[in-house]
Amino acid sequence: MECDNMRTPLSRAIGLGSAHNGVQHWWAQRVSAIALVPLTVWFVAAIIVHTGADYATFVAWMRNPITDILMTLLLIALFYHVALGLQVIVEDYVHSDTKFAVMIAVRLACFALAVAGIVATLRIAVAS
Amino acid sequence: MESSSSSERQRPLSPNIQLYRPQLTSVLSILNRLTGLLLSVAAVAIVIWLLAAAAGPQAYTVVQTALASRTGQVILIGCTFAFFLHFFGGIRHLVWDTVHGFELRAIYISGWSVVAASIVMTAIAWVASFYIRG
Amino acid sequence: MIIKSSSQVSRNNLFKRFPIPANLGVTKESRIGKGKSWPAPAGAKRTKTFEIYRYDPDSGRGPHLDTYEVDLDDCGPMVLDALIWIKNKVDSTLTFRRSCREGVCGSCAMNMDGTNWLACTRFISDMESPAGIYPLANMQIIKDLVPDQTHVFAQYAVIEPWLQARTSPPDRERRQSAEERSQIDGYYECILCFCCTSGCPSHWWNGNRFLGPAVLLQAWRWLTDSRDEATEERLDKLEDPFRLYRCHTILNCTRTCPKGLNPGKAIAQIKKMMIDRQN
Repeated sequence: MECDNMRTPLSRAIGLGSAHNGVQHWWAQRVSAIALVPLTVWFVAAIIVHTGADYATFVAWMRNPITDILMTLLLIALFYHVALGLQVIVEDYVHSDTKFAVMIAVRLACFALAVAGIVATLRIAVAS
Repeated sequence: MESSSSSERQRPLSPNIQLYRPQLTSVLSILNRLTGLLLSVAAVAIVIWLLAAAAGPQAYTVVQTALASRTGQVILIGCTFAFFLHFFGGIRHLVWDTVHGFELRAIYISGWSVVAASIVMTAIAWVASFYIRG
Repeated sequence: MIIKSSSQVSRNNLFKRFPIPANLGVTKESRIGKGKSWPAPAGAKRTKTFEIYRYDPDSGRGPHLDTYEVDLDDCGPMVLDALIWIKNKVDSTLTFRRSCREGVCGSCAMNMDGTNWLACTRFISDMESPAGIYPLANMQIIKDLVPDQTHVFAQYAVIEPWLQARTSPPDRERRQSAEERSQIDGYYECILCFCCTSGCPSHWWNGNRFLGPAVLLQAWRWLTDSRDEATEERLDKLEDPFRLYRCHTILNCTRTCPKGLNPGKAIAQIKKMMIDRQN
């Protein structure tokens, strides 16, 4: 609030009161993190194993349905985790009304990127 | 000097981040955040890589060549280290969420373990990668 | 390298400050200027240099750093003894809070060599040369080393730190078993010195809305007290992205508590209680 000088300290500390939410965000961050543990290990291991592979080898690997499933799960969990994490960062450091625009942009971008990644994966998988 | 001068003047704020000593607690915490930010950018790069692969062998080769360049490899090593720091740091956070490991001794041992594990795993990842490349 | 107790002084000499510009985000009136150098006492054999943050609201000047030479053979072993020595022998305008001089009242909490602790339980011999004495971090300064704690105490009032019970009081005590009583051990001992809250980066950036470790530790003290009947309302008031969830387990609080308490753990227990009532 701009003109805070005459408010009592208690009123300023109470602010707008408790929002009565926050647990879901915290829980979702943890669940996505737990999902990402095996998924990222798989991804990093796969990248290492395929070092220097040519396009044909890469496409063959992507045609494997297990790869497609894991890649899709990775993209969903990853961008969900990224969206939640970036939201916390914006809340921490951006205090003006700009924060709403930034948070909306971040959320929409993460959703779009996840969809783009999944579509790319499926296109490689079913391309003839 | 008028006695109301102190009420007209804004009180100074004592220094915070300009003064407070970096400790393992705060340093590892900010590293977890910085690596998270870096990995968010890497996530975008992964999608670009997938889109390039979907576009065909030419686009894929462009991306692969960029990754294989000296700059690309340095960035990838950095990303690997950032990944492992965030990975092991994240696991440390998940353990804390079960309300374990909060004694100072445990905090410091787990903290240094995260750093050590990250260095070791980055080295293993890259040695393995060079070995597989042949 | 491995810290076992918060009383161990931070020894890293690699970087004593975060590598950021010295005046990053510092408002004009908070900038610390050059101060006065007070002469060393005549005939003193062992002296130590102290650089102390000074601010006089009536002077029209901003804050500055004054340098004092303390005669170690003439004053007690603790930093508070040095401050009292300076006030008695050199500069009587030096202003700081103090009371018990034994680490139980919390009055002399301040930032020494970059970390928050009580001046009366910090050995001069553990300080660097020169020793840097500043007020508690991120506080509005009334004068010299005296911070304005109005806001943090108002945040304390928000969590309603008193027993709330609808059950009419029994003839004698409200009973609790030894095991139930042990649940508040490690939390009731807090002396509200605010070393932890003042050292929390989340409270630096969001101190207007984030309650901070001291207040949240007390919130846990009441949540876990078996005689309290307002657990539901307490949790409702705490469940907020800012009041509770600005805590990212940075753990500067546990590292700096001069009473060896564990606010980080208390907050983790609150978060666990939040999850327990959801699932």
